[in-house]
Amino acid sequence: MKGSNYFVKDAIPHDSAFKHVSGFAEYTDDIKEPEGTLFAAIGWSKKANAIIRKIDLKEVKRSEGVVSIVTYSDIPGRNDVGPVFDGDPIFPKKKVEYYGQPLFAVAATSVELARKAVMKVKISYKELKPIVTMKESLKKNKLLFNVRKIKKGNPRKKIFKSKNCLKGNFTTGSQEHFYLEGQVAFVLPREDNDLIVYSSTQHPSETQQLIAKMLNQKSNSITVLVRRIGGGFGGKETNFMTSSICALLAHKTRAPVKLRLDRDDDIIITGKRHEFYSDYEVGFDDEGLINGLKIKLASKCGMSPDLSVAINERALLHIDNAYFLSNIEIENYLCKTNTSTSTAFRGFGGNQGMMAIENIIDNIARYLKKDPFEIRKKNFYQKNKKNITHYGMKIEDNIIKEIFDKLAKKSDYKKRVLEIKKFNSRNNYQKKGIAITPVKFGISFTTIHLNQAGALVHIYTDGSVYLNHGGIEMGQGTHTKIAQIVANSFGLPYKKVQISSTNTSKVPNTSASAASSTTDLNGAAALNAVSKIKTNLEKFIKSKYKIIYNKEPIYRNGFIVFGNKSFKFEKIIQEAYLNRISLSSSGFYSTPKIKFNKKSFSGRPFYYFCYGAAVTEVTIDKLTGENIVNRVDILHDAGNEINPALELGQIEGGFVQGQGWLTIEEVNWNSKGQITTFSPSTYKIPAISDIPKEFNVEIYKDGMNKENVINKSKTTGEPPLMLAMSVFFAIKDAIASVGNYKISPIIDAPATPEKILMSVKNLEEKL
Amino acid sequence: MTSNIIEFIFNNKIFKITDPDPNETILNFVRLKLKKTGTKEGCAEGGCGACTIVLGELVKNNIKYKAINACIAFLPILNGKQLILVEDLISSDGKLHPVQNAMVKFHGSQCGFCTPGFVMSMFAMYKNNKSLNDEIINDSLSGNLCRCTGYRPIIDAAKSLNKTIDNDEFVKFKKKTIKLFKKIKIKNLEIKKENKKYFAPNTILELKKILKKNPDANLLSGGTDLSLEVTKSRKELKKIISLNSIKELDFINNKKNEIEIGAGTSLIEFEKLIKKHYPDFTSILKRYGSVQIRNVGTIAGNIATASPIGDTLPLLLSLDAKIILDGAKKRELISLNKFFISYRKTRLKKGQFIYSVKIPIYKKNIFKAYKISKRFDDDISSVCGSFNIEIDKNRIKKIKIAYGGMSEIPKRAKNTEKTLINSIFSEKIFVKAIKNLESDYRPIDDMRASKSYRMEIAKNLLLKCFLEVKNKKTLRVN
Repeated sequence: MKGSNYFVKDAIPHDSAFKHVSGFAEYTDDIKEPEGTLFAAIGWSKKANAIIRKIDLKEVKRSEGVVSIVTYSDIPGRNDVGPVFDGDPIFPKKKVEYYGQPLFAVAATSVELARKAVMKVKISYKELKPIVTMKESLKKNKLLFNVRKIKKGNPRKKIFKSKNCLKGNFTTGSQEHFYLEGQVAFVLPREDNDLIVYSSTQHPSETQQLIAKMLNQKSNSITVLVRRIGGGFGGKETNFMTSSICALLAHKTRAPVKLRLDRDDDIIITGKRHEFYSDYEVGFDDEGLINGLKIKLASKCGMSPDLSVAINERALLHIDNAYFLSNIEIENYLCKTNTSTSTAFRGFGGNQGMMAIENIIDNIARYLKKDPFEIRKKNFYQKNKKNITHYGMKIEDNIIKEIFDKLAKKSDYKKRVLEIKKFNSRNNYQKKGIAITPVKFGISFTTIHLNQAGALVHIYTDGSVYLNHGGIEMGQGTHTKIAQIVANSFGLPYKKVQISSTNTSKVPNTSASAASSTTDLNGAAALNAVSKIKTNLEKFIKSKYKIIYNKEPIYRNGFIVFGNKSFKFEKIIQEAYLNRISLSSSGFYSTPKIKFNKKSFSGRPFYYFCYGAAVTEVTIDKLTGENIVNRVDILHDAGNEINPALELGQIEGGFVQGQGWLTIEEVNWNSKGQITTFSPSTYKIPAISDIPKEFNVEIYKDGMNKENVINKSKTTGEPPLMLAMSVFFAIKDAIASVGNYKISPIIDAPATPEKILMSVKNLEEKL
Repeated sequence: MTSNIIEFIFNNKIFKITDPDPNETILNFVRLKLKKTGTKEGCAEGGCGACTIVLGELVKNNIKYKAINACIAFLPILNGKQLILVEDLISSDGKLHPVQNAMVKFHGSQCGFCTPGFVMSMFAMYKNNKSLNDEIINDSLSGNLCRCTGYRPIIDAAKSLNKTIDNDEFVKFKKKTIKLFKKIKIKNLEIKKENKKYFAPNTILELKKILKKNPDANLLSGGTDLSLEVTKSRKELKKIISLNSIKELDFINNKKNEIEIGAGTSLIEFEKLIKKHYPDFTSILKRYGSVQIRNVGTIAGNIATASPIGDTLPLLLSLDAKIILDGAKKRELISLNKFFISYRKTRLKKGQFIYSVKIPIYKKNIFKAYKISKRFDDDISSVCGSFNIEIDKNRIKKIKIAYGGMSEIPKRAKNTEKTLINSIFSEKIFVKAIKNLESDYRPIDDMRASKSYRMEIAKNLLLKCFLEVKNKKTLRVN
């Protein structure tokens, strides 16, 4: 054992690994239903923008097995599940705003019968012309909010005075979450009007509140439980439609109701990642140092605000990535379109902002005929000067240069650049490309009040520990990590700590498991609970055994040690119980130091930053646009990590998810606003052959969080996704080689084979 | 003799169901009736692998293990098989199977929802291969999607199983299981459930009889396409005739100048055989679909479905394959080039079925095929191009070119071929020929590719073919 790091820093398998591999891990749809359970299905709009003239439900009602139907008129309270702003009606009364918008739901005796029944509806619409693209929305000025303008320094003047200036635009695409477990809820009515809700959600507390509001009840009548979810990635942060509709049917029928969306319905109904468009003008010197930047940043928000304000804000806060930009002007447009509401997705706007600046840097390098590696380094934040962000936060934990240099060396970057050039000069039809990109990602919810968490810890009389906290287990291993920390703190074997379902009646008013903060916040809250119990215990031991000992006792190997006196944990717990000492405590945590003025766009929105970098080498086929990722080297900062195996899993998984976003994953809407990529046959997430042929991933060994985060660790939730930016820019580098690096390729993300080929063609025409 | 009972081995016992619902998927049966919830539904169309189960099959006194997608397989398919679920891999004393152990050890699960499917694909791989390599591992797991891990730990788990000695409980119980297999007598199956009928005849003679009485029935081969009518369109398939139990349709005849493949031969069996004649055919087949799909999918099914993409179709067209149609009347041999009429419409008449496919073996020819898709594994082509060339003394004596994804049916590029035939094999003539593709095809825009991209790669593939032949090496990134 590792001394004070007892059980921490060990690569313990995921707490549910045994159950995952044997099929015994229970997900919401696996919960055995009591007799009389009904199964629901949602009927949704086939038009993207229309006035509903009439919904004829006669045939639906008559359909085999149908027990109940709900429409907007069945909602006793708030008919909206918008988390911050209104705009997401559960069932709209008059106007539909996207193809896939729920209009009614049925409960039937089986899933199949419910799904068959909803297809029998007859709806008459008065069709309006839908706005499907950002372009149309910008042209018609269909925005969700007024344009937001941020100006720091004097970019106009700086650009004017710069020796070089570039203009351009760039788009990054949407992305479907494609969590393997689709949206599902199971609601059981209890006495009075109480409801027990099982839901595949990242946000049980808000599920609880929204159901309560919908039913005109108090939150204390709704209990939400989540043992685990089969992936979330942001897609289950605010999608409250499924659980609300399920609860409405349970409320109406007084029967247990289960609602599981079919994969197609899931993709059609629920929101995805924001597509972002940027239009920029940048001034820089001959060395590539950016003097000033003017950028318009527009995002496709879909039919409602949902979390778009916060997502766009994070994009604005990450437009710098790792670069010092003191003269900057940003205009931010939140485009309203007749598509499903765009929502949270790992990176939460940060990645889109970072891609915009990385593309600018890449273009500067190509314009100056320099290696983008040099331009990136030139513009990095520095330690003692050039360390204030465009939102006025001083960066105190900057290690990007160390990581970047170490990775460049480790991956033989410079040597390989030369080798690749040689390869390209000898090969006409296959071209290689390489890129190194940095990641700096801010950690904390930028909505400050969300940075709080609660936990509940019990010790039972046999010395076993029960742990509950507000975090959701969605694969990231938060339960494992927090149990490790709690076990370590009590000096007990990891297995003594029982992990339990997240439950709104145990820990109230929790924030979503999001913003990479789940373990940071909930782990700290759990430790707070542990320390309260310890205080009780120690006071008791000291008084009972008359110990005078001013230092902190040590908890290790099942003993509590006060200098030369030690007490067996299980025995002392029993004694404490007999002496009427409380062995249970709640815990609470709120992140210190952060504050942010949204209006002036200044302050310290982040507690700390995560850093990382990746080098990617690709080969593209000039004739077809097909490509392959030959090698990836990653160095990523996880601070003093809690569980290296789980962090590695996050880093690699995040990278591949980002690779999908930037290469093969393409969400497509036709001109009528119908999504045409709504199943795995039309929407492609990375499969096993897509991953890098050589994949060298390393956790930064010198990592240590400067701030007081548990174990001095850093989260690995979202940041690794952005490591995949290197794949995109390696592809761009390979395309550039077609013109012998004289012309900067024009290509938007995702770099699908089609976009690559068209970019090659476009470039060849300019030669 | 007919029966309305399906029998299969489950948990070391014979399990019987009288008149099972022929539209019920094995996945729903397992989850809702058996209440075994380890097997997950991810997509209900065979595209994610979360529902992967393994079917044991008695082949020459040995048990073969086939991973399949339970979400698109109908219940009667279990007849005569051994059903193996993820829960069944745990040994009787509660220990994990080596495959499960490896997944734990290498941190192969995160959210865990795809995990049972991976475990089952890996289990089938473990049982069917003595030693493993990257190709086998990638191929075995390409039909399983994971959104959390990035696959590396799963691949490492699979690699760790290489050359380990297999003495799991399936080995221990093998003799007993084979005994059970032999107890099950496969009879002609005739199921009636409410208004639905399902036939699984054992002979062609029986099949013809049934077809005569039920010319409107749906023919079920692998069912990987047909089942979506139920799982996605939520239709009822009132009459199904399964071709799976007809041994006479499951054959491969190797002749000197021709291979004849019975309609019931699975793609996975076929790809092994065609490799020595046309290696590119095998490469395309591996990307046609996952192992789960190729284990049940057949080449005849692919032909009858007549998809405009249909991956194997352009290949067969350029090879000038022929098919034998059978039915109430006489057998007829027709060229595949005459089989497709318009979008998903073929010359197959009601009451007819495909008996076999005949593929000529051209010893002197060069055969090349390319598939372009957004994703390498298990994706539908944007364009699939296939080229069959006979060159004699640097002159193109014969050339047959066919594309999928370029038209409403897969078809030959006759105008382009005309330009090339009898010309000197040169870049000049190919550059000239590719322009003719514009007169051969009018591709469409869809979510997979734009028409301009389709045309562009169609041209470039022909050029690529030329370059590969000229330089005598392959020019491919994958």
